[in-house]
Amino acid sequence: MVDNVIPKSLDEALEHLAKGDYQIINGGTDLMVKNRAWSETRLDFKKNMLYVRSLEALDYIKRENNVLRIGATTSLESLLYHEHVPSVMKECLHLFASPAIRNMATLSGNIGNASPAGDGLLITYLLDGVIVLVNAEGVRKVRINDYVKGPGTTDRRSDEMIKEIQLHDDAFDYTVFNKVGGRASDSISKTSFAGAVRHEKGIIKDIRIAIGAVAATVIKDKSVEHMLRGQSIHQLKEKIPQILEAYEPHIQPIDDQRSNRSYRKKVAMNLLEAFLRQIASKE
Amino acid sequence: MKRDISKSIDNVEGREKISGEAIYTSDITMEGMLYAKTIRSTIAKGRIRHISIPSMPKGYYTVDAADIPAENYVHMLHEDWPVFAENSVNHIGEPIMLIVGPDKEVIKDIVGDVKITYDEQTPVFDLSDSHKALEFTKGNPKHAFKKAHKIITYGYETSYQEQTYIEPQGFIGYPENDGVTLIGSIQCPYYVKNAVKTTMGMDDDKVRVIQAAVGGAFGGKEEYPSLIGCQLAVAVAKVGKPIKLVFEREEDMEVTTKRHPAKIHMEAAVDETGHIRGIRSHIGIDGGAYMGLSQVVLSRGMLAVTNAYTIDHVNCKGDVYLTNTVPNGAFRGFGAPQMIFAIEMFINHIAEDLGENPLEYKMRHMAAQGDLTATGGVFRDPILLNEMLETIMEDSAYHEKHKAYQDPDVFKGIGMSWFLHGCGFTGSGEQEKIRARIRLKKDDKDDVHILIAAVDMGQGPKTTMRKLVASLLEIPIENVHFKNPDTRYVTDSGPTVASRTMMVVGGLVARATRKLSEQWVSGQELVVEESYRQPDYVKWDQDTMTGDAYPAYSWGINVTEVAVDPNTYEVKVKDMWNIYDVGKAIDERVVLGQADGGQAQAVGYATLEKMEHNAGKLLQKNLTDYIIPTAADTPRMHNKLIDNPYPLGPYGAKGAGELTLVGGAPSVALAIEQAIGRRIYKIPATPEHLMELMNHEDH
Amino acid sequence: MKTIDFILNGKPIRSELSADRRFLDVLRKELGLTGAKEGCGEGECGACSVLLDGKIVQSCILPLASVDGKTVMTIEGYKKTKKFKAIETAFLKEGASQCGICTPGMVMATEYLLKNNPAPSYDEIRHGLSGNLCRCTGYNMIFNAIRRAAKEGEGLW
Repeated sequence: MVDNVIPKSLDEALEHLAKGDYQIINGGTDLMVKNRAWSETRLDFKKNMLYVRSLEALDYIKRENNVLRIGATTSLESLLYHEHVPSVMKECLHLFASPAIRNMATLSGNIGNASPAGDGLLITYLLDGVIVLVNAEGVRKVRINDYVKGPGTTDRRSDEMIKEIQLHDDAFDYTVFNKVGGRASDSISKTSFAGAVRHEKGIIKDIRIAIGAVAATVIKDKSVEHMLRGQSIHQLKEKIPQILEAYEPHIQPIDDQRSNRSYRKKVAMNLLEAFLRQIASKE
Repeated sequence: MKRDISKSIDNVEGREKISGEAIYTSDITMEGMLYAKTIRSTIAKGRIRHISIPSMPKGYYTVDAADIPAENYVHMLHEDWPVFAENSVNHIGEPIMLIVGPDKEVIKDIVGDVKITYDEQTPVFDLSDSHKALEFTKGNPKHAFKKAHKIITYGYETSYQEQTYIEPQGFIGYPENDGVTLIGSIQCPYYVKNAVKTTMGMDDDKVRVIQAAVGGAFGGKEEYPSLIGCQLAVAVAKVGKPIKLVFEREEDMEVTTKRHPAKIHMEAAVDETGHIRGIRSHIGIDGGAYMGLSQVVLSRGMLAVTNAYTIDHVNCKGDVYLTNTVPNGAFRGFGAPQMIFAIEMFINHIAEDLGENPLEYKMRHMAAQGDLTATGGVFRDPILLNEMLETIMEDSAYHEKHKAYQDPDVFKGIGMSWFLHGCGFTGSGEQEKIRARIRLKKDDKDDVHILIAAVDMGQGPKTTMRKLVASLLEIPIENVHFKNPDTRYVTDSGPTVASRTMMVVGGLVARATRKLSEQWVSGQELVVEESYRQPDYVKWDQDTMTGDAYPAYSWGINVTEVAVDPNTYEVKVKDMWNIYDVGKAIDERVVLGQADGGQAQAVGYATLEKMEHNAGKLLQKNLTDYIIPTAADTPRMHNKLIDNPYPLGPYGAKGAGELTLVGGAPSVALAIEQAIGRRIYKIPATPEHLMELMNHEDH
Repeated sequence: MKTIDFILNGKPIRSELSADRRFLDVLRKELGLTGAKEGCGEGECGACSVLLDGKIVQSCILPLASVDGKTVMTIEGYKKTKKFKAIETAFLKEGASQCGICTPGMVMATEYLLKNNPAPSYDEIRHGLSGNLCRCTGYNMIFNAIRRAAKEGEGLW
């Protein structure tokens, strides 16, 4: 029999994690589906389960300058309606899932799953997220690109849990979020794209590009972003073919029951190009 | 002045459904009830070599072919579909046995421990193994093609469509009076009853079938429930206790019948003036592993070959091919959506090839009253397509939009289809196969009870039948009763299919009501019956498929407006304008509700609902991967009805339910064609498919 | 014995069931409340929608653990409210329910939508209902019903 624990505090949760091998379950919108079984029978959970969703101490949204701090048990729905949450993230949350799923699911859960199609993961990449992990010993911070190791695998150790996600916002002038799913809502992304840019007097000060569901992890190429910072919009316009060429080899999607390789790749490239052309049009 | 029958009333089942009080199959529990779970084939074709069953705890049972008292086939049109696979299997998911017992956890463990080994055989997945070929000819197509100025040929393809009722299939069975009683989510109580009688070898009075509230069906609960009903009856007879068998969503999607994928070849012989003199067509449908109702589906598809056009010379051939895949079957429209997609696209494509305006070209071929149908029958009743067209063109601003969307940079389009749907069973089916009987009973309190086997699965007959009788008798609807059918009490008025319920069954109910009215003595109990008589004018030859395929036709026009995203190739179906001639609506809102729902299914069929298999295993088998429209996807619907009473229908009513789906897909596809400047030959037109079309320069 | 305590339709419930049980099973099998339906078992169709602390959730993927210390409202409790009456009337008048299997879930989604937005636009309604699948109606009559409920039930939300 698996052990089911509903900790009353973070400390109690960490105590259990220190003692044994627990599967952390947060909103459950992924694990409850993956482990579903014949109705009225036990789910297919093989491990001891630690239900953290009700830890109220981790239900918070705080902003310190350009850093948005999101507690691990904060629902997506709370984020959608919170004043501190940037608009690009709200656009994502709006299309992420239905209201019921948004009420159950959390950003930390989406990151914990590390599915390359996770819309929350995409935004976390875009906003240069830092994952704050906690265990009985203390806290450590990991950048999102170091945290996610591959589909379903992360840097989290078995005695740790996500305490908070820190997102680095900017006073962006232009942002886009595109979710390409099977239908207008309530779907899993075939591919997704998020872009953000801040420019002053025709010079790019900050630019971020994240592409989801087209590789083992979300694509975010810091070297290209660094290269573009400080350049003029005019220079960017001329470099569009080179930029596209830089991203192209990273985009290695798969065929599955929801879509196919060539579609995912083409659409990802189209969305990237459309984003760049939009910036260029602001010259 | 009398109230117009079409004026809407509240749905009589509305309150219990809105409040969650309506009882569906899975809501029922019985004292001492056991559960059943199905063990299924994991291979597409082969011989069963060995089945290893773990030692069964007390009170747990296996139920399989060896337990069948009489016939191991599901009584339908053919005798090929086994209740339980015996020796060999022909598709993945084919049922082999049930595990029955009191505790679902224990059943789950047993199911996990049953091991089956097979000698695998080479499965067939392509359309090569024809098990039924049909053909009909009108006029002299050979001559027409020989004399043709030009022959234009195209091929069209349609995919699976899953009914995707929100309530999965299921039954509860229990022993009663040395027989078996089944309560289930079904469209056709007597189909189930007759199938169970055959499989069990039971007399008529030993099998009782009761309809629970049905959470959607759309054809999916027409013939398939007979299979699980038979299995459960075998189990109940063996175990002697109540047993519940309810499918999980994935199980339902993997093993139940779907709309047949089809390949349709079209050829037109065009004369010097551009007029179509003849059409030759072949439609091949994928029947899956067993025939089921495929032959009749094929037939209805073929009969739609010239849709609402008059073509003088026609030859139509069709084949049902069997493959080692899940059997396909009934789904709203029953073969017609496939063929209407093909002919509507084809006639537009011909017009474009000839440099003609497609709308004018279509109008020149439009069927008119007195014309001969594709099978040489007669369109006897008035055809109002011209009036309907005028209305819908204006409502949708079709011409203005069509002109504006010629600009390739706007990625918008508007498309139009028109179509007919034959009402009721094909040919002499009502007379020879169904022979509907209905009964009305007046009790001593002067309340009237409608005793028919028609099922309300959301399409509203509870409301409309009661309204019909109340209106004819001029009594309050509260004094007319219509319960979920129970074969112990109701006569066999036939299945709830083929848009026949109001026109055919309602027609009999209206006749019986008049009889009741004539014999009415207040305070006295009175029972009247009616049975179906084919209208004298209907002449049909099943062997040659010639004559009047249907006693009457309903008509419709759909106009659809779309926008296509040039970056993602996603289609947004924005608006649909629709107009229907269903004779006379017995309740306007009920028919408009059918319209909205049928159209949404057509939009899904045309754009979203992709289902395919890999070596016989379906890839999209849950509601995440098989994409039906959500509230955010559905277009704004603008629907109208036009009165055109049919003399033999109650108040003039004809068929309505299927009509609203059969012609929608081509209107959507034609709108997409305009938006992307490319032709569409297959549906669903998914973004993946549109990308291929749009990136293909040569078109 | 560890128990899970919650308020269901105004009544305190103490459950000794395992925390990993699906809340939908607890409602339907253990408590005999069958108004929430199982359409898919994967949180996709919304037929099992209930309100958890006033927020809509899908009970088929809600572990019992998640209701510990919380308040749950199902259609059985909600149907006793004035707001329900307004929704019921609007659904009837607009023909918003056909087969009815999705309807209790739609009603719960309507309550959640109107509570946050008493006068929603069509577009807001579309997104508010996006987690509740209906195969019968094509949704348009449901949209109209919600507009009607909002109008005729003005002041209730």
